[in-house]
Amino acid sequence: MNYQILLLQLLPEAVLVFTALVLLGVSVGVESKRSRPVTPRLTIGIATAGIVLAFVALLREPAQAGSGTPLVAMDLLARVGKGLALALGLLAVWLPPARGESRNVGEFHALMLFALAGLLLAAGTNHLLFLFVSLELASLSLYLLVGFPRTAKAAEASMKYFLFGAVSAAFMWFGLSLLYGFSQSAMLPVIGAKLGADPGSLLAMAGLLMFLAGIGFKLAAAPFHYWAPDVYQGGPATSVALVSAASKLVGIVVLVRVLSLGFQAAAGSADWGNMTAGWSLWLAVLAAVSMIFGNLLALAQTSMRRLLAYSAVANTGYLLTAVVANGSKSSGAALFHVVVYGLATLGALAVTAAVERERGDDRITSFAGLIHRSPFQAVCLLVFLASLAGIPPLAGFFGKFAIFSSVLAESTREGNPGLVWLVGLGAVLSAASLYYYLTVIKQAFVFQSGQSDSGRLPASHALCIGVAALALVLLGLCPTMISASIARAVGSLMP
Amino acid sequence: MTPAWTIPSAFAGALLVLLLPARMAMASRVVALVAAIVGALAAGVSCLARLRDPDAGIWSFNVPWVPEPGIRFHLAADGLALTLLFLTGITAIAGVLFSWNVEKRPRAFFAWFLTIIGGAYGVFLSRDAFLLFVFYEIVILPKYLLIAIWGSTNKEYGAMKLTMYSIGASALILLGIATAYAAAGGTSFDLMHLASANYSDGLQAWAFPVLFLGFAVLAGVWPLHTWAPTGHVAAPTAASMLLAGVVMKLGAYGALVVAMPLFEQGFEQWKPVIAGLAVTGILYGALTALTQKDLKFVIGYSSVSHMGFILLGLAVANHWGLRGAVMQMISHGIIAGLLFGIAGRVVYERTHTRDLMALKDFDLWKTLPGAALGFTLATAASMGLPGFSGFVAEISVIIGLWQKWPWLTALVALGIIVTGAFSLRALHRAFFPERSPSDAPPAKLPPLTWPEISAIVLLLAVSIAIGLYPKPWIALIDEALRSPLFQSFLTQP
Amino acid sequence: MMLPLFMFIPLLGAVLIAVLPARHSRLSVLFPLLSLLLVSTVMRRGGEWSLPWLPDAGIALRFELDGLSMLFVLLVALVTLVALVTSLLIGKTDRGYHALILVLQSALFGVFTARHFIPWFLCWELTLIPAYLLIRLWGGGGAPKAALRFFMMTLGGSAFMLVGFLALQLSVGTMDFDALGKLAANSEIAPALAKAFAFTGLSGHALLLIVALAVFLGLAVKIPVVPFHAWLPAAYAEAPTPVTMLLTGLLSKMGVYAMLRIFLPVFPEVLPPLAPLLSWLAVATVLLGALAALAQTDPKRMLAYSSVNHLGYCALAVAAVAASQADRTAMSSAISGTVLQAFNHGIIASALFFGIAVLEIRSRGQRGLNDFGGLRAQTPVFCGVFGIAVFASLGLPGLSGFVGEFLMFNGAFALTSAAAAVSVIGLLLTAVFLLRMMRKVFWGPLKPSLAKLPDLGKEERWVFGLLLLLIVLPGLWPQVLLGPANPAIIDLLDHLRPFP
Repeated sequence: MNYQILLLQLLPEAVLVFTALVLLGVSVGVESKRSRPVTPRLTIGIATAGIVLAFVALLREPAQAGSGTPLVAMDLLARVGKGLALALGLLAVWLPPARGESRNVGEFHALMLFALAGLLLAAGTNHLLFLFVSLELASLSLYLLVGFPRTAKAAEASMKYFLFGAVSAAFMWFGLSLLYGFSQSAMLPVIGAKLGADPGSLLAMAGLLMFLAGIGFKLAAAPFHYWAPDVYQGGPATSVALVSAASKLVGIVVLVRVLSLGFQAAAGSADWGNMTAGWSLWLAVLAAVSMIFGNLLALAQTSMRRLLAYSAVANTGYLLTAVVANGSKSSGAALFHVVVYGLATLGALAVTAAVERERGDDRITSFAGLIHRSPFQAVCLLVFLASLAGIPPLAGFFGKFAIFSSVLAESTREGNPGLVWLVGLGAVLSAASLYYYLTVIKQAFVFQSGQSDSGRLPASHALCIGVAALALVLLGLCPTMISASIARAVGSLMP
Repeated sequence: MTPAWTIPSAFAGALLVLLLPARMAMASRVVALVAAIVGALAAGVSCLARLRDPDAGIWSFNVPWVPEPGIRFHLAADGLALTLLFLTGITAIAGVLFSWNVEKRPRAFFAWFLTIIGGAYGVFLSRDAFLLFVFYEIVILPKYLLIAIWGSTNKEYGAMKLTMYSIGASALILLGIATAYAAAGGTSFDLMHLASANYSDGLQAWAFPVLFLGFAVLAGVWPLHTWAPTGHVAAPTAASMLLAGVVMKLGAYGALVVAMPLFEQGFEQWKPVIAGLAVTGILYGALTALTQKDLKFVIGYSSVSHMGFILLGLAVANHWGLRGAVMQMISHGIIAGLLFGIAGRVVYERTHTRDLMALKDFDLWKTLPGAALGFTLATAASMGLPGFSGFVAEISVIIGLWQKWPWLTALVALGIIVTGAFSLRALHRAFFPERSPSDAPPAKLPPLTWPEISAIVLLLAVSIAIGLYPKPWIALIDEALRSPLFQSFLTQP
Repeated sequence: MMLPLFMFIPLLGAVLIAVLPARHSRLSVLFPLLSLLLVSTVMRRGGEWSLPWLPDAGIALRFELDGLSMLFVLLVALVTLVALVTSLLIGKTDRGYHALILVLQSALFGVFTARHFIPWFLCWELTLIPAYLLIRLWGGGGAPKAALRFFMMTLGGSAFMLVGFLALQLSVGTMDFDALGKLAANSEIAPALAKAFAFTGLSGHALLLIVALAVFLGLAVKIPVVPFHAWLPAAYAEAPTPVTMLLTGLLSKMGVYAMLRIFLPVFPEVLPPLAPLLSWLAVATVLLGALAALAQTDPKRMLAYSSVNHLGYCALAVAAVAASQADRTAMSSAISGTVLQAFNHGIIASALFFGIAVLEIRSRGQRGLNDFGGLRAQTPVFCGVFGIAVFASLGLPGLSGFVGEFLMFNGAFALTSAAAAVSVIGLLLTAVFLLRMMRKVFWGPLKPSLAKLPDLGKEERWVFGLLLLLIVLPGLWPQVLLGPANPAIIDLLDHLRPFP
């Protein structure tokens, strides 16, 4: 094995890990020398530099395919997925820890970089075992990040996240072993070929089912979503931002890659009146349940973070809908939407964190009068929530529309009703979702608040909010900025 | 000036208003007014140019927007679009004038107001289904905020109800457009392309009602009209004017240029149902208006009734019916704006009540003679008396209806009679109450302001001008109805 | 191009009066004068003006001024002028009031010149709004109810008329009066109706009858014909006196005019079956009007019922023409009489109501018949001129009232002798109540409270002088009115050939 090529292939991840080590070193050094903890400003700066460097590394020409290790896929999907994950990760890093959470901030950001490195690795591999290990690297970091503040709530959230995550890992692991038993290989193309020869294999189907259940946990698809509300509420906003944005993005990349490369033969069908067993049907059920649960439960929330958690569940439903259609356009739409969704949720979390700084809690009523306290935050919040609700000209509208129209285009042919049932459900529930977003907007814009005493937000915090909002507007006006490369990336995998 | 000025004028105006310093309330009004006037002028001048030279090609603007799914930024201004642009422009001017004394956060108010105007311009100009839908959706949030922040009477409920109805309807539209897009090959959202594609009968049978209903909800189709009265009542004056005057027309327009051309066989099947709903709406709206106690509710239900004529004209789908439907869009837009303007701004701002019984104490014809005169004329227009725009529209729909379903005309005539009854009842109770000499003399009310007078005069003048000389408008509409887009479902006599 | 000016000048006046400061409201008098001037310039040649409106439905804003229209237009200008002057004399100087009267004038010009249903109906309805407001806002204590009743009844009638004409539009495709007249002359309307309304299963004749009845209803309310007169007494009594002049002098003439211009030419086929109904309604109008007038003590109410009675003669003459189209001379007589009666009644009623206004000015609003007495000695000039007006009204030969009534009865006896004979009772009753009014007001001992009542002032003499001239001249020389109207009357006669 040519380690030089391997290094080149994994340069972005290597940069991230190296930066994380630098961060650890710096924080230890500063603490011992000046006997006071390192400032978030410094660590955010270093982490930013690391991520930017990783991005630059990613932009380099890829080493020729096949010359490195087969573990690392250097296809376009991997590169685009990694780039987008880095961008979302960068925004999450910019979200500074809350006042009580700023101890050991160097370790905190180092952990974020580790998690990001894990996610990047997961996005770029065709090897199931390597995939599993990468995901666990990311997950372990995320467990720690969620439980980082020494508060009971964070500890509980971390514990829940860890328990559910461990169970999901066990499922996934079991599923992988079944698949390995079926095909004697962990390489996706090999599994795909085997499955093509023996499409009805019970062993492979059972393995796939287990694997999907595991991914379902990671993506917070109902009914595997129970960790999400507690994690969203208990964890630090920064960690939650990473969980909700970058991690979900990579989850979708992995799902698309695994299903399209390895399991085309086991797709089955979720078409109306023509349902046959296979991952399409299973995911369709997951999607429907997620959309229904997520949207309905979100209606009842009084906490902004829990609301965002249920909205995450609902959005997983839309994303899975796109995956179910099993076409390149719909998969591209899913990737586009997950980016847009990630930006919006990340932004909304950032505004929530800002409100928490001032009001001390994340109840929706705490948003009252935000437009008077901080017009900037309020307008950006409007952008985030409107994008989540799918209102043009914001990117969320385009994302949802792209999902629904491409799913219909790919599933309905020659008068076959296809996935109209799922799309119809999604469209109606997505419309209903405006209700709960509006309750927040109403607080922020319509109601008055008592005092208006807001300390200035840290620059990076404001930057995080502003960049996310700007990105949503720009992507709404000109979605081709990323949709073109996403389409090419997905097209490289599925014709 | 070309129609190209309309959309940018509104959005640029909105942006400019927001960028002004907070203390310059007056400047924000002026900017909003200028933006509205520019839009209206552009529309008016384009109408004139189109009339003068009907053989010249229509103005259009067509660039790719998102090439991959085949979305183009395609605007075109045929006669239909131009007349509706003009309506929007006039309503915008009147709305700004009627909102001249908004003291609460005027910048935000005018910014949202202009955003709705811009969205409406966009819908009327779009020739790409996706683009049309984008503009259609842009209107939703500003509507909500205008009502929830600046509204009155149960405003949060009204705003939420209106918004949820709108977005629910949008989900249906999305489903309909996406289905058509998929079935037409998934290459282009262009309306002509979608309209000329062949869809299977089975698809049309369910996709048409989905798409049509999506648009019709916003047009106030019975029984999904209930958002309209509560929304209109809760909204601040300018928003009521926009809602009834322009936003409801967006629904009707969408039904005409998207739902019907795309699924013409589905339309053929569902025609009688639409006509039934429309006639029910005409009668139900009128009868309900007859029992209302709040002046704005009377107007709100009258809108439901008048919008029934539009839907009826669409359902009839012959030349007279469509022409009447479009004329009614313009006419009702102007008249509803006028009624809401007088009831909501001129009267309510001074009396702080809209209760028909409570208004008795103000003896409005004595204390506000200008408003009484304006409302009297507006009522006459709303009743469809000749000489006002409403007559042209309603008679066209009736002639069309006659050619299609003669027996329905009797029900519609009944609706017109009830319309007369409730209009006169409201006018009489609100403005010309019967008072015994022993009643306390009415309180003095501040006289009409210049912006109010100009807005009233503007709207009345347009309604009367159309009523007295509808020929140019009809020429514009007729020319547009000859477009290939409509030929698939337009029944020739 | 003169015709739009006719309507435009009063409208412009209305806007000016409404915008100018209140003290200039007396300028309103100029506008009817200006109209008179205009009318006199086109007196000989008439005029025509048309603007396509909905061309493919055959709808145009078509106006035409012929001799018949000319008389009515003249009447409008004259009565409006008198009404405005009276208003100033009795101290009604509100801007809105004067502006509304001018709007009314404009609309009336339209009614009497429009030749297509749409512009005609537009103006017909447009008269309603200013009339309603004038009664409602400047009337007496019972005005709100009276105004509303007036408004609703007229509107109700109009609705029927509108439906009738819509049926014509939908079946024959035009609402142009002349075009409809031509179609009617060729008996084309009934078959077209039968075809368009095939689903009702009725014959064309029956359908045409229904349409004609609907149109008649709209006109009957306006004239008014018993039993559609319920709005009239209260409206006349509660309205300010100048407005009452307008109501009786002009608005009631709209109905008569429309009978001649529209009803007779468009529905000749169904006239014979309708004739008995029409003539007995007319008789009822004549008699009930007269009897009711007898019972009144308020001279305004009495004159109101007297108007019902007088217009009943017009209705009778029209009914007579409807009854039989055989005797051309008799028809000519009846129609000429109707035209004359319409004009003369307008002038005479104006004079009578002006007299009431004169009394009201002097008695501070009191106007019960029993409040006066013995004024002959106190105000001899007033007594004299008012007397002439009264005698004109009851049809003294030599004064204008006689000519019209004579011609009408002349025709009616030949065509429907029974109805005409019964109606003669009306003539006698008219004499009774009018003379009773003269007696109560002017004869007998002078009431002490009236001792200082002044006689007519200068302006009042001018107004009376003008009106008396217009009463005496046509009485002596009816051709001055009939001459210009004759061609139109002959047209109408030619049109009304008997149908098999």
